[in-house]
Amino acid sequence: MIEVRDLQKSYGDLIAVDRISFRGKAGSIFGLLGPNGAGKSTCISCLSGLLKPTAGSVRVGGFDMSTEAIKAKSSLGIVPQELAIYEDLSARDNLAFWGAAYGLKGDKLQQRVGHVLNRIGLADRASDLPKTYSGGMKRRLNFGCGLVHEPAILLLDEPTVGVDPQSREHLFELVREEKAKGTCVLYTTHYMEEAEKLCDELAIIDHGKIIATGTLEALRAEFGGNDIIQLSGSFDQPKVEQAVTELHGEVLALATDTLMIAIRDGARSLPSVLQSISATGAEIHHARLSEPNLESLFLKLTGKDLRA
Amino acid sequence: MRFIFITVLKELKRRFNDPGALISSIMIPFAIGFLIASVMGGGGGSIKAGLLVTDLDDSFISQGILSALGQDQVADMVTLEKISLDEGERRINEGDGSAHLVIPAGFGQAWLDREEIALQLTVNPSQYVSPRLIREMLESLLDLGDYLHKVFGDELKIISQSVDSDGLVGISTADFSANITDKVSGIADLVFPPLMEVEDVTPEPEGLSVNMGLLMFPGILIMAAFFAANGQSSNFWTEKEKGTLGRWVASPNAFSAFWVAQWFTAMALTALVAAPIMLMGFFYFDISFEKYLSALAWLGLTGPVLFALLSLIQVLAPSRKSGSMISTLLMFPLLMVGGSFFPTETMPKFISSIAQYTPNGRVIEPLKAYLIGEHGASGMFAELWGILLVTLVLVLLTGSLSARKALA
Ligand SMILES: Nc1ncnc2c1ncn2[C@@H]1O[C@H](COP(=O)(O)OP(=O)(O)O)[C@@H](O)[C@H]1O
Ligand SMILES: [Mg+2]
Repeated sequence: MIEVRDLQKSYGDLIAVDRISFRGKAGSIFGLLGPNGAGKSTCISCLSGLLKPTAGSVRVGGFDMSTEAIKAKSSLGIVPQELAIYEDLSARDNLAFWGAAYGLKGDKLQQRVGHVLNRIGLADRASDLPKTYSGGMKRRLNFGCGLVHEPAILLLDEPTVGVDPQSREHLFELVREEKAKGTCVLYTTHYMEEAEKLCDELAIIDHGKIIATGTLEALRAEFGGNDIIQLSGSFDQPKVEQAVTELHGEVLALATDTLMIAIRDGARSLPSVLQSISATGAEIHHARLSEPNLESLFLKLTGKDLRA
Repeated sequence: MRFIFITVLKELKRRFNDPGALISSIMIPFAIGFLIASVMGGGGGSIKAGLLVTDLDDSFISQGILSALGQDQVADMVTLEKISLDEGERRINEGDGSAHLVIPAGFGQAWLDREEIALQLTVNPSQYVSPRLIREMLESLLDLGDYLHKVFGDELKIISQSVDSDGLVGISTADFSANITDKVSGIADLVFPPLMEVEDVTPEPEGLSVNMGLLMFPGILIMAAFFAANGQSSNFWTEKEKGTLGRWVASPNAFSAFWVAQWFTAMALTALVAAPIMLMGFFYFDISFEKYLSALAWLGLTGPVLFALLSLIQVLAPSRKSGSMISTLLMFPLLMVGGSFFPTETMPKFISSIAQYTPNGRVIEPLKAYLIGEHGASGMFAELWGILLVTLVLVLLTGSLSARKALA
C-alpha cells in the first residue's frame, strides 16, 4: 500500500530525510520511531504530496505520487502533527467538508460523519465551534478529519502529542480498529511505549536515516537474547567499563550517575554484576532489570537517549 | 464543480459563524453612506438644531470634525457655535441650544494613536429630535473616522503633523472632504507623488444636474466589494497558518479549485454585503427598484476583480504582514483615483481619465451610468465578459503561483 524507495529530502544543505526505504502493508501498522527533528514529519509530507522529494520515489495505493498525484492522494487519510481544522466551523461541518473533499456525498457522507463523531467522542459537542474546545478535543477532531472518508491508507503524525492519557488509550483503540478494518496505517512517534504497543513493524529513524527496521521481535533479537540492567549511583567510567567487559556484558550507556548494560541471562548475573561494579568503588543507589525494549535498542544503536 | 460549490458553502458558513465581522463590513459603508447622505443630500430642513461646541483640542482632527459639522448642507439643519467651556455649560443648563459638544484636549492625538477617548455631548433634555440628530451625525462621523483610520491611519499622522504646525484655515470654508484633500495635496509630494496632485475637488456646479450623493453612491457600494476582497484574499494566509491549506493540497482536488472557490465566495459576499446598502440607497435616491437586481448582479460579478488583484498580491508577498501592507498601500490610491471616495465627475480631467484604467473604476462607472439612467442594463453589462476574463486570469495565475508556494 505504501512504498517508499530511497526517499531523500533536503532543505538547502540540511538533509532532513536521507535515502530511506520501507513498505507498509494493508491491515498493519508501520511505525516510524525517532526523536524530534529525525525527519518523521518531512517523510509524511512527502508521502502525502505536500513536499516534492529531492530524490527517490513514493508510491501510495499503487500510484506514484509524482506522476499520478490525484489518484495517489485519493486513497490517503492524513492526520498532521499540527492541528489542521477550521476553528470557525463546527465539528460536524469540518467532518462533512473533509469527507466531501474526498468525494463522499449524500447519505453516505452523513452516516460517516455521524459515525466518526461518535467514535471520537464529540457527538454531544458536534454543533459547537472548535474555538470552544479543549486541546484534546481539537486533537480528536483533527484525527476524525483524517479518517472520515474511510481511507485505505492512514498517515498519523504524532497523533498523541498533547493528548491526555485517557484520550490516548481511546486513540490507540481507534487506530487498532482501523487496522482491523484492513487499513494500512503509518504511525510516527517519539514515544517508545506507543511504538511497542501499537506497531507491527517499525523503522527507527535518526538524523533522517533508518538505523534499524523490522518487527518488534526482530528488533529485540538484535540483542541476541540479552537482558538489560540499569543502575544509578556514581561511577568511575574507565573502571566500570573494564568490569563490564570482564563480565561479558556490553555497555549501552555510561555516565557519572547512570549505567546501562546488556547481558546474557540478566536475573542470574545480577548479583555478580552488582558485586563487580561495587568493587570498582562505585556507589549503587538503584538497580533495575528489564527485557530489551526500543529505548535500550535506540541507546545501543545511537549511543544517546531518545528523550534527550 | 460540485466540490467548488461545497467549498463556497463552507466559506460562507465560516463567515456567518463570525457575525460581528460580517455586520461591521455592512455597517461601515452604511455609516459612510449615512454621513454623505446627511452632508450631501440636504432634504428636510424643517428642524434646526443649535450645537454649541467647545474645542479644547484645537488640532487638525478636531477642526476636521467642526468643519464637517459646519458644512453648508448640514448648516441647513444645524447651526454651529464655537463657545468657551464655561459659557457652553451655562447655556445648555439654561436650556439655550440643543446640545453642547466638548472636544477634550488631546483628542486628535488620541484618535491617531487609537487610544480611547470620548467626545462629551451634553444634550438639552427638553428637546427631542434635535439632540438625536446631532448624536447620530456625530456617531456616523466617528464611524467614518474609524474607517479612515483603518485605511489611512499612518498617512493621517503625517498629515496631522504637517498641518498642525502651520495652523489651519477657518472652519467654515469648505466641506470636510475637500478640506482633507486640500491638506493631503499640501504634503502630497511626501506620500504619493504622482497620484495626489488634486487641486480642487469641490464639484463644479454648472455641469452637474444629478445629486452629488447619487454620484458617490456606487463608490460606497464598491466598499462592499473591497471588504469581501480583503477578507477572502487574506484567507489564504489564515488557511496556511491553520494547516487547512495543507489538507487541501493533500486532498485529491486541483489546487486551482481552491482559488476558484475563494473567488465565487467573494462574489457571494460582495452581493450579500452590498444588498442592504443598495436597498437603502435605492430608497434614499429614489431609484427604480427594477434596476435593483441587475445592479446587484453587476456588483457581485465584477466587484471581485478587486479580490483577484489582492489575492495575487497576497501570494506574491512573502508573509501575511507584507501582503496586507502592500494591499493597503495599493488600495488607497486605487480607491482614490478610481472614484471610490470622490466621484470622477469632481476630479480634474487627467485624473478621471486614469480612473477608467483602475479595476474599481471599471466597476463603478458603468454602474453609475446605469443608476442615473445614462444607459440601460445591456449598456452596463457590455463589459461584463471582459472584467470576468481579467478576474479569471488573475485567479488562475494566483492559483498556480500559490500551488508552487505550497510545494516548497
Ligand atoms: N521547512 C523547513 N525548512 C528547513 N528545515 C526544515 C523544514 N522543515 C523541517 N526542517 C528540518 O528538517 C529536520 C526534520 O524535521 P521534521 O521532519 O519535522 O522532524 P520530526 O517530525 O521527526 O520531528 C529538522 O532538522 C528540521 O529542522
Ligand atoms: Mg514531526
